Amino acid sequence: MLHVNNLTAAIAGKQILKGFDLDVDAGEVHAIMGPNGSGKSTFAHALAGRDGYEIDGVATLDGVDLLDLEPEARAAAGVFVGFQYPVEIPGVNNMYFLRTALNSVRRARGDTEIGARDFLALANEAMELVEMKQDFLDRPVNAGFSGGEKKRNEILQMAIMQPRLAVLDETDSGLDIDALRVIASGVNELRSPERSVIMITHYQRLLDYIQPDFVHVLVDGRIVESGDHTLALHLEDHGYGDFVNHDLDDAAERPLTGATS
Amino acid sequence: MMTPTTTPVETDPTPAARLDSLDRIGIVRYPTRRDEAWRYAPHRQLAQLSFGPPLAASGEIPAALDEQLPTLDGPRIVVVNGIVDADRSNLTTPNGLRLSTPADALMNMHRAEQSGSHDNGGLVDDEVLDAYTALNFAFADSGTVIDVADGVALDEPIHIVDIAVPTPQQNGSCTHTTIRLGAGSSATVVETRLGVGNDVGGSNVATTVSLGHDATLDHVLLQDVPAGLVHLSRVDVTQQARSTLRARSFNLGASYGRLAYDVHLAGVDAQADLSGLFVGSREQILDQQITVVHDAEGCTSRQSYRGVLYDDSTGIFNGGIDVRPGADGTDAAQSNDNLLLSNRAEINTQPRLEILADEVACKHGATVGQLDETAMYYLRSRGIPADEARRLLINGFADQAVDDVGIETVREWILDRLRHTND
Repeated sequence: MLHVNNLTAAIAGKQILKGFDLDVDAGEVHAIMGPNGSGKSTFAHALAGRDGYEIDGVATLDGVDLLDLEPEARAAAGVFVGFQYPVEIPGVNNMYFLRTALNSVRRARGDTEIGARDFLALANEAMELVEMKQDFLDRPVNAGFSGGEKKRNEILQMAIMQPRLAVLDETDSGLDIDALRVIASGVNELRSPERSVIMITHYQRLLDYIQPDFVHVLVDGRIVESGDHTLALHLEDHGYGDFVNHDLDDAAERPLTGATS
Repeated sequence: MMTPTTTPVETDPTPAARLDSLDRIGIVRYPTRRDEAWRYAPHRQLAQLSFGPPLAASGEIPAALDEQLPTLDGPRIVVVNGIVDADRSNLTTPNGLRLSTPADALMNMHRAEQSGSHDNGGLVDDEVLDAYTALNFAFADSGTVIDVADGVALDEPIHIVDIAVPTPQQNGSCTHTTIRLGAGSSATVVETRLGVGNDVGGSNVATTVSLGHDATLDHVLLQDVPAGLVHLSRVDVTQQARSTLRARSFNLGASYGRLAYDVHLAGVDAQADLSGLFVGSREQILDQQITVVHDAEGCTSRQSYRGVLYDDSTGIFNGGIDVRPGADGTDAAQSNDNLLLSNRAEINTQPRLEILADEVACKHGATVGQLDETAMYYLRSRGIPADEARRLLINGFADQAVDDVGIETVREWILDRLRHTND
């Protein structure tokens, strides 16, 4: 479904992704873990189409070349990125924003737009998923939201957009345990054979709640190790030290206690 | 009750104050670029305006103009070229509200002069600052005087509509509105300024407000005259103890739209909260000249203005806070935030603070920015096309100035008008 091959990304002349390969099949949940500065967020933004990167390589979703598309067209193609730092937009009502987003995507796909009443029903269902109160919809997008509310709002958007591929960038950062539980159960509810999820995270904690099918270790712009969920447990115990400052061959040859790759 | 077509010709007592005003035009010279408050005005265009006593509009006013007005419950006074148009007006007044014309007020002034009193009914400011204001005081025979009796709370807004219809004989119109709120009373007044045609011309409207102690006025000004005309507006406010002014202005139309406010906090603990939005496109010049004078203890004032400037438009915010000696415990703040949407658009923002009292809290700040790239990316990543994302962010910025207008139909009118900006 998602096919990424030899993806490179540089910003202001600095190479961040240095040949990133990843294949994600429908229904799979992948976790990408890695130390700070390894390029995790850059990967998410490269898929979403943020300006300012020099990008090369291949990234296709269901055969559609994403890299040639504007951000809005990537969303229409089924990409959703949950932001690590959701943007505050004072003056723009959350409900209006959500409905505009959904209808933009529907329009781009040639579907009919959804009316206010039907949308409200849809939104209410999604709100239950992330345990949000009604007034959440009446407030400006993320403005004055707590860290946890912002992340819930990201999952709410995901629930409404029903993307083909969701890339969740550090969705667990800055969350207390209750918020983490709510968000994790929201994501689990949205797991489906039709949808793939990539979770980008620094810590193993989130993976206690959402068990991934695959875990990848990203170091210095490349995936240096892939395994099942036990790889995350290994990282929790041993940190990224095993993977940093070693080349790929070294990393692959070292016996990894707890990892079953 | 108003006598809509009062022409003061036969009864015109030409009281001294009015003659004064005419005389002053000779003394108070026309402003030039050297006057800070008129620095960005199109002086050549202003020089083409001709003013005189009100002349009836020649030709019909398009019916579409009525549809252009926000629909409000309550009394409505429509003034065309300085003359009240009774057919378009609704002059039914509730108890405690009296509507009259400046001509009536002039009569009273005349009587007062005869009896040796110097009550000028709030009609003539002793400190007429510029020739346009002097012209207004001299020629604004008709227009509206609103008197709200002590202790009366008016539920429905009073809507005053000024329509400028330039004619070849006289392309400039003068209208005067006087709003007097008795002690402890409250009212909402909406002033809408429109016009017809795109020839040289414009309107010169002055509003004089006096708020008795503990009175509360919500004043909304909607300026949307056609793109070719000039609009000069001046609102002078005097506030007694514990009175409250909430002024909301929307400077949207005209080639040069000038909204000046001069608020005098004369009684203790009075509050003035002024906010506004100006949205310019093409070569519009939208000018806000605001001065709040703190002249008593414990008064609070806020000025909060937002500008959105497209194309080659120019915005001006010249905001003054003047704290007089003895106005201790003053709490004053002003802010001006601007969105520049073209590299040719221009904003001139200037705070003027003069503080001559103790224990004063005075804040001011201005921001100038473009659309937030991160916010654009965020919206687009959710599937919203760039054009629509842009519009969403601009409206979001502007809406924050619209939100605190208390009347829903007025909010809708503004939002609808904004949707058609730059179409």
